[in-house]
Amino acid sequence: MTDDNIKIVGFCCNWCCYGGADNAGTSRMPYPSNIRIIRVMCSGRINPEMVFKAFHEGADGVFVGGCHIGDCHYDAGNYKWRRRAILIRHILDQMGIDQRRFKHDWVSASEGAKFQRIMKEFYEELSELKNEQNIDNTTLEEITAK
Amino acid sequence: MKYLLAKATDEEILSCGECGGAVTAILKSLLESNSVNAVLNIEKRESVYDGVPTYITNSDDLIKTAGSLHCAPTMISDIIAKYLKDDNIAVTTKPCDAMAIDEIIKRCGINRDNITMIGLNCGGTVHPTVAEEMIKLFYEINPDDVVSEEINKGQFIVELKDGTEKSVKIDDLEEEGFGRRENCQRCELKIPRKADIACGNWGAGKGYTFIEINTPKGEKIVQKAIDDGYIEIKEPSEKQINIRKKIENIMIKMAKKSQKKQLKTEYPIKEEWDEIFSRCIKCFRCRDICPICNCKVCSLESDYFQEDPSIKPDPLMMHGIRLAHMSFSCCNCGQCEDVCPMDIPVAKMFQKLQKEYQNDTGYISGISEGKPPMYSGEKEEILE
Repeated sequence: MTDDNIKIVGFCCNWCCYGGADNAGTSRMPYPSNIRIIRVMCSGRINPEMVFKAFHEGADGVFVGGCHIGDCHYDAGNYKWRRRAILIRHILDQMGIDQRRFKHDWVSASEGAKFQRIMKEFYEELSELKNEQNIDNTTLEEITAK
Repeated sequence: MKYLLAKATDEEILSCGECGGAVTAILKSLLESNSVNAVLNIEKRESVYDGVPTYITNSDDLIKTAGSLHCAPTMISDIIAKYLKDDNIAVTTKPCDAMAIDEIIKRCGINRDNITMIGLNCGGTVHPTVAEEMIKLFYEINPDDVVSEEINKGQFIVELKDGTEKSVKIDDLEEEGFGRRENCQRCELKIPRKADIACGNWGAGKGYTFIEINTPKGEKIVQKAIDDGYIEIKEPSEKQINIRKKIENIMIKMAKKSQKKQLKTEYPIKEEWDEIFSRCIKCFRCRDICPICNCKVCSLESDYFQEDPSIKPDPLMMHGIRLAHMSFSCCNCGQCEDVCPMDIPVAKMFQKLQKEYQNDTGYISGISEGKPPMYSGEKEEILE
């Protein structure tokens, strides 16, 4: 059973990760339907603003998938993305957004199983996080009620 | 000839300028020998708290810019990038100016060959309103009576209209929350070594300016000023060079201590940041004043990032994006914090991010050679 209230925005590169998601689909590997995939041509095209915009619009998690290091269709796009991801993590820390809500990984077009595993893991992590927050909120409400 | 002591030969410059007026004399030599078209400099207007960037083409006007202006921190790098890109000019640069210019050069906004950078050593600047207040409180005089100020040997010295001088230790001022701006307390770069020459009073005897020559171009302009009789020089003694080195090291040590205090132990926690960010009114002043952030088309203005103006702005859509665009290049000039109408500690946030980025990649804004790793197309291995 999946909780439909969890929203994941997934940026997938056209050549690898999107192929991986496709592969998972055609091989009938079920994964949580919470991810909304946005296809981009390369992970090097994704800039921090796109990730922040997703969080701003209410995404619970943002996933970015690119080709494995060394396999980029455009030679070095995923290296560029990786450098950005380092900075994004620091900024999320500063802006008070839990780092666990942001995930990036490398998935090749043949790795449908990997895509499935990552999605499952990410979904579980996010629902755990949501539970934590709910508990926090309820205790806060209880305290204020008293 | 790496280090030398210099003073102006001109009587007027000697009397108006700080420690021998070598900087004004060198600028005059550059302007009069037509080595540059103009000088971009900070001019004192109504009081010592009022400094205005001024474009000078007539060498007689240079005298107005002589003397130190610690209470009027103003950046000039964005002016060059916006209006004087193709002009051959000389600029006086504090360390933060030099860092900002270096960052813009890396972004192809300024052509290094077009500008002659006369660096000024800087131990820190004072916010003008804070300066007025502290002069009233600690010196017990009317701030308007101050005709010039100077920072020397850890003392903030003011000179009055009648020629008397009063001084208070900067440490005492800072203990009470006055003194140098917070970002200056945290600043680690005291001598702008990316400038052609770096001038200052540390280690120089009275009436002399200590000059460190950093580039071949710097050597040429100093030699020209000597040959044309604008400045007279003498060799600094071993002792003086050591004194200068020692002062620099003490300053850097102090800065590291302030960094630890302001960016670690006293840095606001997450809940405090929520409150701080809730004050943001998205006035864009921090972006407008930033000396490095000056793209022709700002992505904050794109339709994509517009928010409903009737609701509280999301800090992620303002500070998040700005951090992503240039926190790794922040030179800690502190202007964003100065202009923020809601007292958000923007400079602290940016410097903290730049420090973290530095730990990860080794890139020091304004000092490291080569472009920031964010702009490189290299395929290097980073430990994940």
